[in-house]
Amino acid sequence: MAPADGAAERTVDRVVMRDIRKRYGMVDALRGVTLRVGPGEVIGLVGDNAAGKSTLMKVLAGAVVPDSGEIVFDGQTVSFATPRDARELGIEMVYQDLALCDDIDVAGNLFLGREPRKAGGLLLDVARMHRDARQHLDALNIRIPLTDIPVGGLSGGQRQAVAIARAVTFGPKLLILDEPTAALAVAEVETVLELIKTVSAQGVSVILITHRLQDLFRVCDRLCVMYEGTLRADLDARATSLERLVSEIVAHDQIDSGKSDAGKADGRKGNDTTEGARR
Amino acid sequence: MTTSEPTTTAGKPPVVSERVVTTRAARANAHIGKHAQTIAIGVVLVLLLIFFAFSADRFATTGNLLNLLRQISPTLIVAIAMTFVISTSGIDLSVGSTVALTGSLLAIVLQHGWDPTLALVAILALGALIGFINGWFSSYQNIPPFIVTLAMLSIMRGTALRATEGYSTPIDGDLWIVQLGQGRVAGIPVPVILAVVVAAVGWITLTRTPFGRYVIGLGSNGESLRRTGVNTRKVGLAVYVLTGLAAALAGVLIATRLSSGSSNAGSGFELEVITAVVLGGTSLFGGRGSMLGTMLGALTLGVIANGLVLLHVSPFYVQIVQGAILLLAIFANSKVWARFGAVRK
Repeated sequence: MAPADGAAERTVDRVVMRDIRKRYGMVDALRGVTLRVGPGEVIGLVGDNAAGKSTLMKVLAGAVVPDSGEIVFDGQTVSFATPRDARELGIEMVYQDLALCDDIDVAGNLFLGREPRKAGGLLLDVARMHRDARQHLDALNIRIPLTDIPVGGLSGGQRQAVAIARAVTFGPKLLILDEPTAALAVAEVETVLELIKTVSAQGVSVILITHRLQDLFRVCDRLCVMYEGTLRADLDARATSLERLVSEIVAHDQIDSGKSDAGKADGRKGNDTTEGARR
Repeated sequence: MTTSEPTTTAGKPPVVSERVVTTRAARANAHIGKHAQTIAIGVVLVLLLIFFAFSADRFATTGNLLNLLRQISPTLIVAIAMTFVISTSGIDLSVGSTVALTGSLLAIVLQHGWDPTLALVAILALGALIGFINGWFSSYQNIPPFIVTLAMLSIMRGTALRATEGYSTPIDGDLWIVQLGQGRVAGIPVPVILAVVVAAVGWITLTRTPFGRYVIGLGSNGESLRRTGVNTRKVGLAVYVLTGLAAALAGVLIATRLSSGSSNAGSGFELEVITAVVLGGTSLFGGRGSMLGTMLGALTLGVIANGLVLLHVSPFYVQIVQGAILLLAIFANSKVWARFGAVRK
């Protein structure tokens, strides 16, 4: 739509969402949001309930068509009519509610909808499925010893890992994770955070929506705070304190600029109990 | 490795080992749960065979066993198709009425001088169409299949009664089509051969094809399957076409075996079929289907019906026994086997 001003800057970004607006009847869900994500970058998208995080991500995943605004993906202006359009470009979204089939085994879930076939496409190539699944899980450092057990028998963290691994099998350029660590035990959160690091190290951009703020400082490069349909703040995760982030989320304007927070941030992170020998 | 690394809390190493154990136990449980049900129904079948072999004189004869297999063939054929439907967490109550309608119409069109081959193709197409209607309402319009197929049960039975005016229509014994119900190949009744073929194809389809995988996925978590790009509505519709087609084939087999098409055929047939499927361990909540279980379930029902008759038990008891078995099987599915982790809903 807009002429290519600042095109040089844009080509280095994996995706730029510019002035995205979406209105549901009387409700302004998105009031002109601009968000950019670099290759291999991990963005934490935070905000209170109804801040517009999920709507923004659904726009990016093609599940919601915005009223106006521009999405630039790898330097190309794109528009998505369906999730399939977004997926073809390499945008994968892992939904909150563990989109797995409990009764199907790990390998079957990883390849659901695109199973390797034999005999002219008539039969499943079960052996290859398990072989590929094993390779794939190993490549992502996901420790699931057996690929032939139904995912219903796995722990929450393992199931989430399988869900993310499935999204990664599509070879995405951008992975959107909606609350991947909600409802997980502490030890299992580790599994998922490790996986996010592994995936981003492979050059995949990740947008992480979560209410667990301590997770954000563990894996994110930047923190984007949404408030009532706008992007309120775009913060460097390494130079931001938890207090600063919280005050941005609840929109306390009296907290000043945050430059002085840089020093405080390190201390805060050291105090964070889940921050261990991980880095 | 990674989970044991952060040692901020002392309780972490035990958690790791517990998780590995959990995983192994989970696999063992899942596998035991999956096969225990099939083994259990297999054991029940063997016990029944032994019981009737000793208590009923003519039970363990080749003639009787072949007759038993022929009697149960239509049930088995439809039960195989029904396994797909129930695995998607659907149900098809209209199969019994479809048997009556297709059998009656077959006899009527043959009486009108239709070519038997044409009549057979037309009847099977009608069965598929009935299934298509069931599937369209349930899968594309999201109306509970229980209600859709219950309505179709009434419509089909009524149509069969209207078409025959309640009379049986004889089928000319000289037509080749009669061989479908009465013929034998190398001493084995044709319906048995057909049932074995259908069972083999059904088994491979459920366990080894993408379609079978999607049927299980649809029953397990349809939304998840849809998000992976599979056309779940088409899968949901296709399973009803399978039961419609199977019910039409069963209708043809029953009508040709009796050389007569009757609008009263197949009453209670849907109950028998669903009992066979549930007895075999297929979950009514979807996501879990066992073809071997369905075969054993159908055979068990056949053995009970046949054995009780040979013991001169009143045939009215057979219905009571069948209903009781259905109830017990559902109870066992949802309560007893749940301990093995096979049922999670």
